[in-house]
Amino acid sequence: GRGGAKGGARTIIEPHRFPGIFIARGKEDMLVTKNLTPGESVYGEKRISVESSSMDKSVTNGDAAAPATKIEYRVWNPFRSKLAAGILGGLDEIFIKPSAKVLYLGAASGTSVSHVADVVGPTGTVFAVEFSHRSGRDLINMATHRTNVIPIIEDARQPLRYRMLVGMVDVIFADVAQPDQARIVAMNAHMFLKVGGGVVISIKANCIDSTAAPEQVFAQEVQKLKAEKIKPFEQITLEPFERDHCIVTGRYVRAST
Amino acid sequence: MSIDYLLHESPVGYAIFEVVHQPDTVGNRLKEVQDSVQDLSKFGKMVKLISFAPFQGAAQALENTNDISEGIASEYLLSLLEVNLPKSGKKNKITLGVAERNIAGAIKAAFPGLECETSDTSEIVADMLRGIRQHASKLLKQLQEGDVERAQLGLGHAYSRAKVKFSVQKNDNHII
Repeated sequence: GRGGAKGGARTIIEPHRFPGIFIARGKEDMLVTKNLTPGESVYGEKRISVESSSMDKSVTNGDAAAPATKIEYRVWNPFRSKLAAGILGGLDEIFIKPSAKVLYLGAASGTSVSHVADVVGPTGTVFAVEFSHRSGRDLINMATHRTNVIPIIEDARQPLRYRMLVGMVDVIFADVAQPDQARIVAMNAHMFLKVGGGVVISIKANCIDSTAAPEQVFAQEVQKLKAEKIKPFEQITLEPFERDHCIVTGRYVRAST
Repeated sequence: MSIDYLLHESPVGYAIFEVVHQPDTVGNRLKEVQDSVQDLSKFGKMVKLISFAPFQGAAQALENTNDISEGIASEYLLSLLEVNLPKSGKKNKITLGVAERNIAGAIKAAFPGLECETSDTSEIVADMLRGIRQHASKLLKQLQEGDVERAQLGLGHAYSRAKVKFSVQKNDNHII
């Protein structure tokens, strides 16, 4: 019908099993994040307002309870965000949660970054690295409204160039779509990732090797990560949202055993 | 090779640490040693803050960030090293651990007697600098909670805006 997800009275917000992420149950179920800047959409995504009177404590899902009477959520489209696709695809662990510090490689225009910023909340930080100046401008604009996002327009291949801007982080998320992305992630992990920190990488088989079978490419990438002290945790494909994509997660184990 | 001092470049300023207790290279990879880098109460005994030179305002911070990014040692950094490091000679070589090789080259050019090790050449330097990065806000005692984060936010915007603004590829290339 008209309005789709609108009409908050009909929609019930439930916590997702990942802290800081929610599910809106209406006519269709949707993945949503709590809007850090109520009243604003970042890229034209739908917003859902819910009266907080209809909410009980369980709905805050690890977040501090908001005193406002209305809470606004933004719809997180799995067809536009690989992280959202991974969450709906059933990832066991994303490491990104309220108060986390996240190094986000391949931030693009900052559409997915804005949802990650919603998840980590005001006490978390997202260091968003993007090399393209064109996307970078949108990223900077988005970051002016969200003070937990630090925009870094620089080449993720050269983490030393932005070493003054980034602190130690809990998670590295990478969606750089480059043939040497395992190396890019590893270099950043060696500089900035805490021991035991999480790694989440989106891999597009075509970007690594367009001639080999996707499964083979994924297996090779996992081997490369292992060699760089990133212990693989799980691997899922992003079907039906993306074709020949997968997300690999792992933990950074710096000490050799 | 023993490391005597470490240089930490933070968004609030430059800091020089003396290495009080250094893990040996063989044991460096051992889990216990790396665990002690994690633990501030243990790591705090391995390094001692010698000097911290805060940036005087956002303009200087941005200038130094750009310098560090390009591997240039600014006057401000060189004067800090000059004042705080003991003279390094043939008799007593002083080794400074830094993050990257271009900055090491720039520093060596200014202080020929000084030895430099980088994160690439020494795993100890890499691990110790990681430790300082992790505990920076506690190790730099004159800082208050949130100072580093605020400086990162301001610098991130300033640095990135400058990049985008001064780009020659600012306009899209239209096909004529």
